[in-house]
Amino acid sequence: MAEHYYYITAEDLFSRGVKNIPDELVGNKNLIYSSPATLAFNSPGAQGFGVKRAGLAVPDSVMLLVAPRCCGRNTSALAAPGDLGERFFYLLLDDTDIVTGRHLVRIPEAVAELCDSLEKKPSAVMICITCVDALLGTDMERVCRRCTERAGVPVEPCYMYALTREGRLPPMTQVRKSVYSLLKPLPKRADAVNILGFFTALQEQCELRMLLKRAGVNKIRELASCRDFGEYLEMAEANFNIILNQEARYAAADMEKRLGIPSVELTRLYQLDKVQKQYQLFAAAIGAEFDDGEYFKAAEAAVEDFRNRYGKIAFSVGEWLNGDPFELALALLRYGFEVPEIFGTVGESNFVWIKKIAQLSPGTRISSNLSPTMLLYKENEVKCDAFIGHDARYYHPGIPGIDWNGEDQPFGYSGITGLFRGLEAAFNEWEEGK
Amino acid sequence: MGGGKMKGFLKYLSPFAPDNSGVVSALFEFGGLIAICDAGGCTGNVCGFDEPRWFTMKSAVFSTGMRDMDAILGRDNMLVDKIVSAQKTVKAPFVVLVGTPVPAVIATDFKALRRMAEKKTQVPVLTVESTGVNYYDKGAAKAYEMLFDTFAVEKLPVKPGCIGVIGATPLDFSSPDAGKYIAGALSEDAKIYGMGSGLDDVKNASQNELNIAVSPSGVAAALLLEKRFGTPWKMFCPWIPESVKNAAASLRGKRVLVVHQHFAALAMKELLLGSGASAVSVASWFSMERSLMGNDDFQLREEGSLADAAAGFNADVVIADRNLKKVLAGFKGSFIDWPHFAVSGRLLD
Repeated sequence: MAEHYYYITAEDLFSRGVKNIPDELVGNKNLIYSSPATLAFNSPGAQGFGVKRAGLAVPDSVMLLVAPRCCGRNTSALAAPGDLGERFFYLLLDDTDIVTGRHLVRIPEAVAELCDSLEKKPSAVMICITCVDALLGTDMERVCRRCTERAGVPVEPCYMYALTREGRLPPMTQVRKSVYSLLKPLPKRADAVNILGFFTALQEQCELRMLLKRAGVNKIRELASCRDFGEYLEMAEANFNIILNQEARYAAADMEKRLGIPSVELTRLYQLDKVQKQYQLFAAAIGAEFDDGEYFKAAEAAVEDFRNRYGKIAFSVGEWLNGDPFELALALLRYGFEVPEIFGTVGESNFVWIKKIAQLSPGTRISSNLSPTMLLYKENEVKCDAFIGHDARYYHPGIPGIDWNGEDQPFGYSGITGLFRGLEAAFNEWEEGK
Repeated sequence: MGGGKMKGFLKYLSPFAPDNSGVVSALFEFGGLIAICDAGGCTGNVCGFDEPRWFTMKSAVFSTGMRDMDAILGRDNMLVDKIVSAQKTVKAPFVVLVGTPVPAVIATDFKALRRMAEKKTQVPVLTVESTGVNYYDKGAAKAYEMLFDTFAVEKLPVKPGCIGVIGATPLDFSSPDAGKYIAGALSEDAKIYGMGSGLDDVKNASQNELNIAVSPSGVAAALLLEKRFGTPWKMFCPWIPESVKNAAASLRGKRVLVVHQHFAALAMKELLLGSGASAVSVASWFSMERSLMGNDDFQLREEGSLADAAAGFNADVVIADRNLKKVLAGFKGSFIDWPHFAVSGRLLD
């Protein structure tokens, strides 16, 4: 009988091995606790990008959400006048629809009526469907073809199939394929690349752009930076894609198949030496030389400045942030800080970090936000000096820290610099507020 | 801008609160373990958007985390095991299973789930078969009815002056503090079920001298209590926000269309007619009590219905949530904002 929230130490978790992760850390083995720390899990769009918002990453597109009313309810939060608010439309299902699939015959008419009613014809209509159609086995691609014929604009499906989120193609992987699926083959430009993986742009100060430019890449495109559909279509001329988020692998594979654009993958890391090594390997792979010394030193200085000023801070690290919580926690440990607790989802891809954490800090507590036992977590139960992550903030009111889950995406050395300068600013603000 | 005429097509509005949100809203403060039978998205919508108290009060709300194979194979026994395991942590006095589109499509046997879960948890299990397709008031109505049916079983002596208020939720009254305001507007000792009054008050419901359904979602439970204990009941809303009352103070001689939950709109109608409005019509997309509808009142159906109602009634003034302005095609009169959380997600200031 649980009297306490569940955690396992890094040492114990590592000794169990990746094939024997405790059920308490596996989301679909238990009821999923709904707290402000888990909102992003259940509703990724609540703060950030879920399928609905991601589907509208195609410039000048609109979205028709075909679903029961409960699926579109929180889209009201995006309904303020302005860009996104005027790009969502709904075709609501009734009781008969969810059992018979009768709604499918109305979709082409709805798309046509929608396109006719808009002042400016959309570049595309993204049709978002949900669990009902997953269970009905709807052939949405066929419906979309009918819609395209009827309305005269490209129509693409987006699958908000939460039922499949632990499957081979979870919703956020599928939608990344959807948003690039409108690209058509173009002659390749040797000096053009695309950056795939996020729905917002890399932080302006990210050194990756400068390093690429120095290596002769003159055109670096990201979906979020395309100002119109024309610029979006030019993404098809890229020489290669750079994947920064593994959820974009499926989209990249599709682009290679359809457009002949190969890809290379980089990982977001917060360990300085790993960032350096990754850039070295990447440069070698593309036949370039990266002179990244200045960026390395800037990041190193940011870490040292923070450590010199604040000492051996104990961090609570969450997973609702821009990064992998275990890799980030390992980076903090290697920089000389303490990490008494980590909230995260343990899996094959990040278990490699657990091993190193177990060596450096065997007693670090690892918990899952989703565990029903988190209902028992008392505020500040584990003594920490600072938090990183929106979920870690929830568990630790009253201490300084940063959410580190903003829309501008950190990466590479500038990610590390930004993190520690951000922490410094947060601590300054904290001290001034006292 | 007149709104979509095609059934279910929304060109200007976002969807209104669904029945599963109504269920959670009605039962939120009673201390139960609430398990929403979904894959996660419905829970995110309910908690992150439709339940303002969720951000400030700790609650035992869970998603059952259904996945495709759970739905295909109908693994109810696994769901029950998950509930039993969570209940060991929560130790709630009861469990609620909330329906969503997924169990609706796969025709989940909620009765069987109830039996299995009650046997293993040894606490009452309420199952509310919301589908995510209907409006919030239908879900809230079912939830209240099931709550009282399960727990209001003992016949106790009536306490003079004791009033039960059923049907108050933030979805109806656009404030997590609405319970206090409603209690303040009633001169008697009032128990606001679900907004200030808890499970013990439900168990003691037979003590009420009178029950008041303050929104249509309270009617079914009030009827049940009348049938079971003979408790008389009324339908009316005792509280309208001061800001809205003030804005509507000078409408003498005007034809006014009021759009809100039915009983609140009726309360506003009475106020307006008392202050000299020449005619008042009431309209709602949500449940309307037939016995209280006048010839000029409208049951709204599609997005375009509101513009038709305003034109048909020849309204000078519309009092409604300001998000509905988008669908008032050709309306030249004036508009008074009355936030309705179930419509727009806006709370009162």
